[in-house]
Amino acid sequence: MKKSRWVVLVALLAIFATLLAACGDDDDSGGSSGATGTTLAGQKKNTGKVTLMSAGEQNETDAYQKIFDDLINSKVDYKAEVESVSDFEQQFQIRAKGGTLDVAAAPQPGALPKLADAGQIVSLEDMGFNIDELNNLVGKSFMDLGVYKGKHWGLPTNINLKSMVWYPKKAFDAKGYQVPKTWDELLALSDKIKADGSAPWCMGFESGGASGWPATDWMEDIMLRTAGVDTYDKWYKHEIPFNDPSVKKAGELFGKILFTPGYVLGGAAASANIAFADAPKPMFDNPPKCWLHRQATFIAAQFPETAKAGVDYDWFPFPPIDQQGVLYGGELTVVGKNGNRPEVVDFLKRFIAQDVQCKMGGVAASSRVSPNVNVGADCYTNKILADASTVLIDALKNGTGRFDASDLMPAAVGSGKEWTEMINYLKNGPSYLDTALNNIESAWPK
Amino acid sequence: MSVTTPVPPPDFTPTPTVRARRGHATLDTRHAGWFTRITIAVVVLLWLIPTLGVLVTSLRPVHLVETTGWWTALAHPFRGASWTLQNYRDALDTGGFQNAFLNSLAVTVPATVIPVTLAAFAAYAFSWMEFRGRQFLFVLVVGLLVVPLQMALIPISRLYIDGASIGSFRFIPDFNLNGTFLGIWLAHTGFGLPLAVYLLRNYIGSLPSSIIESAKIDGADDFTIFWRLVVPLSVPALAAFTIFQFLWVWNDLLVAYVFLGGTSSTRVLTIALANLVGQHGENWQLLTSAAFISMTLPLVVFFSLQRYFVRGLTAGSVKG
Amino acid sequence: MTDDDAELAPAEQVPENAPEAATVPAEVRSPWTIVVRVVAAIAIPVAGYLSLSWAFGFLREGTANRLLIVLVAIALGVGGVFFAFWAMDRVVDWLPDRWRDTVRPYVFVGPALVILSVFLVYPVINTIIMSFKDAQAKDFVGLDNYRFVFTDASMLRSIRNTAMWIVFVPLVSVTVGLVFATLADRLRHGEAVAKSLIFLPMAISFVGAAITWRLVYSYRPAGFGSNIGLLNGIKVGAFGGDPIAWLSQQQWNFNNLLLMVIMVWMQTGFAMVVLSSAIKAIPSEIVEAARIDGASELQVFWRIVVPTIMPTIVVVTTYMVINAMKVFDIVFVMGNAESNHTEVIAERMIRWFFIQSNDGRGAAIAVVLFVAVIPVMIWNVRQFRQQEMTR
Repeated sequence: MKKSRWVVLVALLAIFATLLAACGDDDDSGGSSGATGTTLAGQKKNTGKVTLMSAGEQNETDAYQKIFDDLINSKVDYKAEVESVSDFEQQFQIRAKGGTLDVAAAPQPGALPKLADAGQIVSLEDMGFNIDELNNLVGKSFMDLGVYKGKHWGLPTNINLKSMVWYPKKAFDAKGYQVPKTWDELLALSDKIKADGSAPWCMGFESGGASGWPATDWMEDIMLRTAGVDTYDKWYKHEIPFNDPSVKKAGELFGKILFTPGYVLGGAAASANIAFADAPKPMFDNPPKCWLHRQATFIAAQFPETAKAGVDYDWFPFPPIDQQGVLYGGELTVVGKNGNRPEVVDFLKRFIAQDVQCKMGGVAASSRVSPNVNVGADCYTNKILADASTVLIDALKNGTGRFDASDLMPAAVGSGKEWTEMINYLKNGPSYLDTALNNIESAWPK
Repeated sequence: MSVTTPVPPPDFTPTPTVRARRGHATLDTRHAGWFTRITIAVVVLLWLIPTLGVLVTSLRPVHLVETTGWWTALAHPFRGASWTLQNYRDALDTGGFQNAFLNSLAVTVPATVIPVTLAAFAAYAFSWMEFRGRQFLFVLVVGLLVVPLQMALIPISRLYIDGASIGSFRFIPDFNLNGTFLGIWLAHTGFGLPLAVYLLRNYIGSLPSSIIESAKIDGADDFTIFWRLVVPLSVPALAAFTIFQFLWVWNDLLVAYVFLGGTSSTRVLTIALANLVGQHGENWQLLTSAAFISMTLPLVVFFSLQRYFVRGLTAGSVKG
Repeated sequence: MTDDDAELAPAEQVPENAPEAATVPAEVRSPWTIVVRVVAAIAIPVAGYLSLSWAFGFLREGTANRLLIVLVAIALGVGGVFFAFWAMDRVVDWLPDRWRDTVRPYVFVGPALVILSVFLVYPVINTIIMSFKDAQAKDFVGLDNYRFVFTDASMLRSIRNTAMWIVFVPLVSVTVGLVFATLADRLRHGEAVAKSLIFLPMAISFVGAAITWRLVYSYRPAGFGSNIGLLNGIKVGAFGGDPIAWLSQQQWNFNNLLLMVIMVWMQTGFAMVVLSSAIKAIPSEIVEAARIDGASELQVFWRIVVPTIMPTIVVVTTYMVINAMKVFDIVFVMGNAESNHTEVIAERMIRWFFIQSNDGRGAAIAVVLFVAVIPVMIWNVRQFRQQEMTR
């Protein structure tokens, strides 16, 4: 009896010892790589694993994983894995704040300052990157979006064009409609389509918990074209209030399309409840029930599988109003506290390099364009993406493009009040604009 | 565990207020009138309709799913063109379902057994053992039901990766449990325990004191009473909670993302399913078929355990 | 099992034949036994150490065969917890007599309490402290966050809506569950099937449930094709006219009600299953006696069934109330809550904490949830006191 108790006691002790030992091992590997995190890669052998968290769709990320396996993992002593995360914003916050984040491709640079302040992400400078080199590689204007307190907190790895108006090319040409070159021509075209007995625009703003975001893109495209890039920059930096006359003007022009009777299929109020992915579908009816749809590159994935790009549908740039502008969205790849390791630096360098980026452009499921200015249009198998990349690379080189403002603003506005108030604007009509802008302004964090 | 202990429960009545010996449960009591049958049929129908929509949708071709309501398919049930199994093939092909299924299993089984065991011991102690702070601790445990687990994710992640220390004294080392099965088991155990303790305490506490007392008088120690007496008697409650915890863990998305991650090697079934939704897409036909695939195992568990948790009670009643 | 257990009387004879664990006579030990025991005392821990360290390394590696990893993981997780309890109880046996009874209860509740303290109590304390801090959880800001909680229009709406949720959802779920369980109990055939069908929604993951209800509430105005949502299908098919954007119908909180229906659909199975098992535990002779005395079925239900299973009703209702307090994903995925006025407290909490990344406000909203549960707890404590007195 007594002896069997001894056995148990000793066994218990052994288990605890094992647990501690097992954990001790991890301490060593974690600690050593952390200590060398500020130095450049290749100095210390590591057995690490790099996990890139992405908001991309799974078939897209699975294709990227293959590219990583071929072009990165086969050459290095770590394993790079890409992870598709469906509720990205929440997971990003949890992992960054929880300290478990390796690397994340974050579509909202506006979230970075808070994380940087709290020491939960690592700057490119502290990782040992050469900023000038990167500025040349992806364009300084894009790099600057990640600047906070004099340091760069994100590496641009993905860009997509937002200033696109889609139309059903075949039917469009058959009707003899012309692609508009100016805002007035756009309105004239809308009137003409309306006179021909059809609604010119189809819109949808419902997107679950993020309902309203497509409306913010409209506002930004118009702001860029009416107020210009300088005012646009002041706007997202809150150097002018959200209810500034320039913003109001953009809201009014947007309202002109929304609320002119017969312009929007089903009416503006109904579009608040139409899933944004459903919105372009009437364009592919025969005859089309609507003819124009403003949305970013990725919406093409929602078009019928039988429709051919360049034949059945095509796009034109959102036309200039007082000037032209290029609105884009994209991702800044951010390194979390846990990712401050030499192999992560190595991974990022290989990730942004021309060969990997060009290969990623060939992924059929992809809707992304590479911000690497050396990645030419010929990398893209998809004609739409190739065209978009030409526009974007040009804008990046010249610094004329602007990033989606709502993604640069604090989340309380850009991913909160602006969505809500834009939905309310759709529902309540033109007279609500002032209230909407005032409400958004008062939601800006002090 | 309770399942592996097929000891017939002794003669007792599990209800607290009634000590009367139980009579034979005759079939005479089972007379269902029209009112009963119609009410049941109506409720079942109401509950079934939404699920039926998913089932029908999962069996329809994409272009029909997009353009017509699912109920229209029922108008022509024998038209071959309106049905397809392609969605199931596609769903199984995308995203490594097999791997995800295995991962789900590795997460769910221990994350169900561990809290059930812990809670059963605790519930026994709260019901039948005397110790200081019993009432207070129990209320605390039940109060923890209200804690939204989202509030725990960040602190727990930090604990996993950094450990915890007061000054330079590290009283919880950095086990680096993040991304390990052990890490997610413990997390699910923590989040599932309040309900488990609450449900099991209610059941175990309502066992008649006479049988526990007499076992004590006869010299049985607590471990013996618990293992040989209370567990077999509590099979219904244990089975019920096992089902709930299993379903909860199996269907969980958030905790799996945080503590295990969504890479192709670690993702569980719900993550694979959620990823089918995609960031921008609404692949309803894939989603619906995937939803059904992921439902199969929970339903098997439900049906197999349902037997036990009715048997535990009827066995008692038949014996008396 | 151990020699203790081998002496145990089979359970069906308890309590008549008491276990004799305490009176096992000391066995005669030969030198051989001692040698064997010593060898075992060394070999077992070593084997345990080796197999555990192998298992941990194996689980971390991730390159090995997935099926094997899964099997090892399950064996380790399931076996580990049983072994731990058994071993701890052995250790307690080994303590001096007067300590055993004091220590043993804590061995039983201890593991649960330790895990709860780490995974829930510690985060709660963390949250309470954070609720007095600013957005980055750095500086203390006093009661600012609470001022926000009780003045912001959207927050106030969420409190009002949550109040509706915690009345409506438990009321409907428990009522339907109770009535259904009672009625199904009398079915001669098909009880299991009927109950399973009500339970079915619980087996659907939340992602699946969201699609399910999109197929009910979906809205497409004229021009966007025929409606694929059931409700609009019925509305347009049977009554004509235009489809309705159901989730934007704010009149009489209709859209709130539609969201609550989803939760009722998902959770009634829980109430029904638990209540059903309680109903089955009611001794049939009481019911029979009442019937012989001429009680109607309705009287039997109200005078016998309901009072007998009251403790279970309390438990189920409590759980439903707390779950309704915590509801978030249903509201979160079904349209813009703020614009539709369908906010609930937990949804606001997630939004402020994770989306707007305002730690202080998110934490303060969570604390409001903790505090709101206190009345429910008081009610529960009373019920439990009563239970302990009457058993």
